[in-house]
Amino acid sequence: MTSRFKNIIPFSMLVILAIIPLVLGIGYAVSYSFGLTGVLNNGFTLAHWQTALSNKDVLMSFGYSILLSFVSIVLCVGAAAFLAFYIGDKLQSGRLSYFLYLPMAFPALVAAFFFFQFLSNGGFLSRFFFQLGFIKTIDDFPNLVNDKYSIGILAAQFFLTLPVFVLLNLSIIKNENIAALKTLGASLGAKRSQILFRVTLPVMLKKSFPTVVLFFIFKLGTYEIPLLLGRSSPEVISVITVRKMQRYNLLDIPQGYVIAVLYAMLVFVLLTLSLKPSKINMNV
Amino acid sequence: MFKGRTITAYLLIAGFVLPILLLVMLTFSANWVYPNFLPERFTLSNWNEFLFKNARLKQSFLNSLIIATAVSLFATAAGFITSRWIAYHKRRNFLLILSYFPYAISPVIFAVCLKFYFLKAGIAGNLAGVVLAQLIITFPYGIIFFTSFWNRKVKNYVEVASTLGSNDVITLKKIIFPIAKQFLTTCFFQCFIISWFEYGLTTVIGYGKVETLTINIFQFIKESNTYYASLSSCLLVVPPVLLLWFNKKFIFQQTR
Repeated sequence: MTSRFKNIIPFSMLVILAIIPLVLGIGYAVSYSFGLTGVLNNGFTLAHWQTALSNKDVLMSFGYSILLSFVSIVLCVGAAAFLAFYIGDKLQSGRLSYFLYLPMAFPALVAAFFFFQFLSNGGFLSRFFFQLGFIKTIDDFPNLVNDKYSIGILAAQFFLTLPVFVLLNLSIIKNENIAALKTLGASLGAKRSQILFRVTLPVMLKKSFPTVVLFFIFKLGTYEIPLLLGRSSPEVISVITVRKMQRYNLLDIPQGYVIAVLYAMLVFVLLTLSLKPSKINMNV
Repeated sequence: MFKGRTITAYLLIAGFVLPILLLVMLTFSANWVYPNFLPERFTLSNWNEFLFKNARLKQSFLNSLIIATAVSLFATAAGFITSRWIAYHKRRNFLLILSYFPYAISPVIFAVCLKFYFLKAGIAGNLAGVVLAQLIITFPYGIIFFTSFWNRKVKNYVEVASTLGSNDVITLKKIIFPIAKQFLTTCFFQCFIISWFEYGLTTVIGYGKVETLTINIFQFIKESNTYYASLSSCLLVVPPVLLLWFNKKFIFQQTR
């Protein structure tokens, strides 16, 4: 095999399966959003961007998705850090370590379905409280799915993501030798709170930052869970995009592409920030 | 102190096991009327229907299996080959960020942007189209996965073999494959699971014509058929749970 031939195969695969779809997909969305292609479009226009950017639903969708992803990540990171320190030794070996991986066997759709069956008015939790006599009718149980505070969505996302962050924290504690750093801090006279806020947490947050941002990006684009457990307004980015593009009203389609382009730009910026060249250590 | 930690650990695990138990219970249930905590009776009829009567559910299971196997085989092989080229490329950081993008972007949004081309090519609404669409997200995952494999140690082995007169084929067979075996298996199963779990992209590119288990679940939920939705959910969860039994790493993909 010549060196040139050896390079052509991987290069072609990268171009055909990654670069071309990316360029074509984003390119089509950009040209549709500027009126250069698609049904009812007659040439370059900024009208679709103006309509989309002045649409309250679109702006709310971005704000809601960002807030939801942020809260979801903060809950997971906080709980995972607590669990890793508090019961990390129990979760690292033996039978319990097996169960820690169980949520990863759940697709988002099944997790959403379970939480619907668990948290809805007619669900397990409501029935449980009814049997205990805490509620008298089905309506006495608060709305925990399709609800104002997105409790159902946050619960499902927490269930799916928590184990990943617990495992990440356990590996950081081990690899960064946090125990030794804590002992060193204590021997130098630091208080427990000082060790926590000046040593442990900064090291862990710094090490887990790229993963945290990556998961923030994943949560921004989440689809199945908000589709099942979310409300019709506000909608997350992926749900509003798909709804606008698959609607019978053709005038809504360009707005869908505007949202897709804005979302892609947001992902690109976040990825570039979190995956700085220095952080990609190929060790070669 | 010790007791509190033990209780916390068991509560956490109970929270992780509960969904499986409740979903399995629902598959054996009939007449689960509010406010009863347990169904009025337990039955095998839902499983009986799936195993012997419901051709649609069986076809969906088969479709999911075919798509996931094809996608994971190709994504693993292509990811392995391409990641090596990227690892030793002078612009590897840029190429890696480029690989991350299709993987990080929401599959359903990516799918609606690409749907036009799939329709033009005549592959929307069939298995081949869904396999190709899923490859677009799993292939970058394969590249990212294998980047940690192509390290200095592997490079040194290859260089030593080359110095000792080995050719490319022998190096691949006798050196790279034995070291990469575990990586290849893990990547295969992780890609299998990404594909097995996929819903948004499959529903857009499959155009409602390619039924997979995830699509079935959503249809059953819309029809308020809790028992069949639970059964499809169990069918979807069982393979990853079995893989977990063999090796935890097999299912450790970054859940969305």
